[in-house]
Amino acid sequence: MDTTISDIVSAKTMLPVKTQPTCRQLCLFLSEYAAWLLGCGATCIRLEKNVNRIAEAFDKHVDMCIMPRHIHLTVSSHDRHISFTAISSIRCKAISFDINTRLSRLSWEIADEKIDFTQVQHRFEVITKTPPANKWLVLFLASAANASFCRLFGGDLLAMGIVFVATLAGFYLKQILTENKVDVRIVFIICAFVSSVLGATDGLFGLGTTPGVAIGTSVLYLVPGIPFLNSFSDMLDRHYVCAFSRFMDAMILTACLSIGLCGGMFMMNVDMF
Amino acid sequence: MFSQFFQDALFAAIAAIGFAAISNPPKRAYLYCAIIAAIGHSTRFLLMSTPAFHLHIVLATTIASFIIGILAVLFSPLAKTPAETCLFPSLLPMIPGMYAYRAFGGLAMCIYNGGENDFSHYFYLFANNGLTCLFILLGMTIGATIPIFIFKKISFQATR
Repeated sequence: MDTTISDIVSAKTMLPVKTQPTCRQLCLFLSEYAAWLLGCGATCIRLEKNVNRIAEAFDKHVDMCIMPRHIHLTVSSHDRHISFTAISSIRCKAISFDINTRLSRLSWEIADEKIDFTQVQHRFEVITKTPPANKWLVLFLASAANASFCRLFGGDLLAMGIVFVATLAGFYLKQILTENKVDVRIVFIICAFVSSVLGATDGLFGLGTTPGVAIGTSVLYLVPGIPFLNSFSDMLDRHYVCAFSRFMDAMILTACLSIGLCGGMFMMNVDMF
Repeated sequence: MFSQFFQDALFAAIAAIGFAAISNPPKRAYLYCAIIAAIGHSTRFLLMSTPAFHLHIVLATTIASFIIGILAVLFSPLAKTPAETCLFPSLLPMIPGMYAYRAFGGLAMCIYNGGENDFSHYFYLFANNGLTCLFILLGMTIGATIPIFIFKKISFQATR
């Protein structure tokens, strides 16, 4: 029979009695957990494994339907006499491997019976409040990464410098627009336009010997790499609905990037091919 | 050739750190991402540009991704992160971004140029870039995912 959660102290022994959460409590917790894990960019196989691991640790059974923006989850008792269902919308919408890692570790801590359910809920609350990485550091690292990318494509030092500046401006704009809750598709068009116009200065002023590489790589920081990889990973795991949804999201963002880039190239009178 | 190889590894490592930063990995994962990306990307460079191999980009990327996958699985217990945390950021320098937007550019030019010859040319560019992009992504994911399934116990217990 289901009983209430921990922190009950036996009057006789004065030792903490380890109790199980009810189906309802576990279902509400798992739906939130799954919504966060999916939202932070975990693959469907990771989500299934973690949720099943937690449910098994509390001697419960879980069935789950993973939709692109929602989680539909039923938790039932071992004999299936009691069950509870919940639907949650995905919570965190920015990819965060830090949250993914910490949520996965939490699932193992539960499975290895290191922590009680109240502690689990507390730790989950702490994890969901994880702040994102320092925005200035991310801005600098992303710009350096894109400049390195320019080099990998054969760009010279001047092209690398121009790509660094183009990425710095475009990525900073992306951070500002995202903070102001502007639609992500519009953000991609604007940022790709700005970065490509700045990237075109290499050819416009005849600064370097690889102007084509400079403009071509100036927008690569916008390519949605993780959603592409997640979509193909879900496809291999036969989660076709999620795979298709993630693929379409990534394709639409790439299309927006291309619109911005074409606009920038058209304005600067540069041909793509 | 050797200097090119090391340059490729160095810049791939910087690219992996920078692109990983966008997806908020734990701080301890940066070093592993950089090492794995450097080995993976330079392997692809070697497979594509040395006369002994001279492989097509799709096949070279698949093999390099397989190596990245194995390294990510082996490093993930050390980094105490899920295998994907080291794996996906390390794959980012090989994402075929240029093929992806060139495919869209080709599509736009198809509509812009109505003449049959121009249309065929730009449709060829659209299909060529689009298919190459898709097959690179597929090869990358298959190559990188196989080690996760081979070493299932390590990859799904890394955060234990």
